[in-house]
Amino acid sequence: MLVSIPAQAVPPFARQTGLACEACHTIPPELTSFGRRFKLNGYTLTTRPPLVSDTDEHKKNTVWLSDLPGLGVLLQSTYNHYDRAPPDSAVPGAKAQSENLEFPQQWSIIAGGAISDQVGGFLQMTYSQPGGTFGVDNTDIRYSDHTQNNDFVWGVLFNNNPGNQDVWNSVAAYPIPDFSNQSLWSAGGGIAGASLRTPFFQGLGTLVAGPTAYIWYKDSLYLGVSAYHAAKTGSGTSTLDSSNLSDGGGTLEGWAPYWRAAYERDWGYHSASIGVSGMYSKFTPSLIAGQTLDPGFVNRYLDISYDWQYQYNGQHNIFGFLGRYTHENAEYDPGLVPTYFSNSTDHLDEWNLTGEWYYNRHYGALVNFVRTTGTADILVNGGNGSPGHQYEVLEFDYLPWFNIRFIVQYNIYNVVKNNQNPFILLNATNPRASNNNSFDIGLWMDF
Amino acid sequence: MRRLALATSLIVAAIALASTAVRDVQAAAVVVPPDPSALDAKQLVSNACSKCHGFNGVSTSPIFPNLAGQVPGYIETELRLFRQRGRSDPHARAFMWGIARALTDEQIKGVALYFSTQPAATGKGSSNPALADKGKLLYENGSPQRDIEACTVCHGHNGEGVNTQPRIAGQHRDYFVLEMVQFRSGLRENKVMQHVSEKLTDDEIAALVEYISTK
Repeated sequence: MLVSIPAQAVPPFARQTGLACEACHTIPPELTSFGRRFKLNGYTLTTRPPLVSDTDEHKKNTVWLSDLPGLGVLLQSTYNHYDRAPPDSAVPGAKAQSENLEFPQQWSIIAGGAISDQVGGFLQMTYSQPGGTFGVDNTDIRYSDHTQNNDFVWGVLFNNNPGNQDVWNSVAAYPIPDFSNQSLWSAGGGIAGASLRTPFFQGLGTLVAGPTAYIWYKDSLYLGVSAYHAAKTGSGTSTLDSSNLSDGGGTLEGWAPYWRAAYERDWGYHSASIGVSGMYSKFTPSLIAGQTLDPGFVNRYLDISYDWQYQYNGQHNIFGFLGRYTHENAEYDPGLVPTYFSNSTDHLDEWNLTGEWYYNRHYGALVNFVRTTGTADILVNGGNGSPGHQYEVLEFDYLPWFNIRFIVQYNIYNVVKNNQNPFILLNATNPRASNNNSFDIGLWMDF
Repeated sequence: MRRLALATSLIVAAIALASTAVRDVQAAAVVVPPDPSALDAKQLVSNACSKCHGFNGVSTSPIFPNLAGQVPGYIETELRLFRQRGRSDPHARAFMWGIARALTDEQIKGVALYFSTQPAATGKGSSNPALADKGKLLYENGSPQRDIEACTVCHGHNGEGVNTQPRIAGQHRDYFVLEMVQFRSGLRENKVMQHVSEKLTDDEIAALVEYISTK
């Protein structure tokens, strides 16, 4: 799975528009109201004339090529230190590595900007540790137009990550905090399956693809509908492979609808929005690694998210409060219960709340709180069956320049109930959630 | 000898051909910089200005000012200020420095003419007539004892603008208040407006915007 950094600040967009980063971002990747309009208008804003252009007899553009190649680089490095070295997975009583330095942790090539006067795109290829793979990341190609008075902006797009087409950072596919290193120890240590449970649709990035149609009315009301289909990606993985999805692998059946509605109000330096989004997925799981899929068994996931965001983007101070609540209803195929799933229906509820403050765009602090609860299902979640966890992320940022950010982060785990806690997984004595606490130093830059 | 001459000729010919090819490649590789004046005013408005200010100069977001019916001299003055980075309030720095960086004088004039000839927006009216009356008094008379000039001197009796002084009638309320606060704090540089606004209280700015909303 490669999708871990969303669009961020995109240097090709800055080169194309001549705009400072803060036109589109409070602090990257969080979009300002103008940045949201830039994306909704298809990434096409420019005052630069095209290098190559042509029109037909109806004076309609037939070719419109920018004089800029529209390329950028994004680099992220990190040093992780876990408070307690976890037990070695093979040698009883021995300790495993408790810290690692990843340079780079993630390295992306970004191509973005206007493709024609009404078509634009954002394409990202990413190298990512610890997998050491390089492949297709977030990809978004869109056509946009508007009525003459700009009351209606509308567009169609194709992308590969449900929700990443959105323009508010309160959704899961485009999150704050973006420097997301709050994995359990196993992310660097290689204990299989030791990750935190998240709503189903959040694991579909780059494994699906589909079209979206949207309208944006009077800079306030956004309505969008999408449909996603299982897809092969450039990373060499296939949705028919059992190792792709966190729920044991499998494939999406047919088309999965995704929908989104949001309302935004801007006044002065303030911007506030509320929204709702949802996805309904039918999924055939590959329950045993390497086993041929049985298309007769279909699980159904309905995810509904409510999200909200407030931004104060002032001269010296920036404040942001973002949040979302997601409820998931999973219905398992009767043929798989109780052999592979304990219950015929499971619920999952996730709260994700973030508060942030930046001063003069140089110094900042961020607090993120995540709490997940749900139906106990021993066969799905292992351990005591609970999918629950709760953690906080404390982050301090220093940006000597707007495209270079130093990050200090501390991750505090209050609850890790299931066997995804590596200390429980390896039958360590006194396996407390806080054993997973970690300290990170990060470097983020794009150019 | 003849063979040597033939070989030499072939080598010379090959080098000449190769160098021609190299020259051709070099010629082909020379990128002609785009002519910044290639876009006419309407194209510019469509490609850039309309995204925030609306194609007809009436913006939907109050962050961005209405430009329809604006005094052309004011638009020209501000665009030149943006181009030379002479106006540095936060939104000017973030948005307009980049947008205006490559505009020619002709384009500036064209854009100014375009927006000035669009039908102006009108105010949404006042919900507080008493406050609007207070604003009217201040707008028309100023406050001589506090050395506050009447707004009518520069902005006209109905906020329509005078010479290069801007039209404020029909402007977004939030934008109007934000600019007044920025003049007052010196964030947006303008000696006349700073002189006037630094003596205004928040209540007086609220009264002025209430009155302007009726225009």
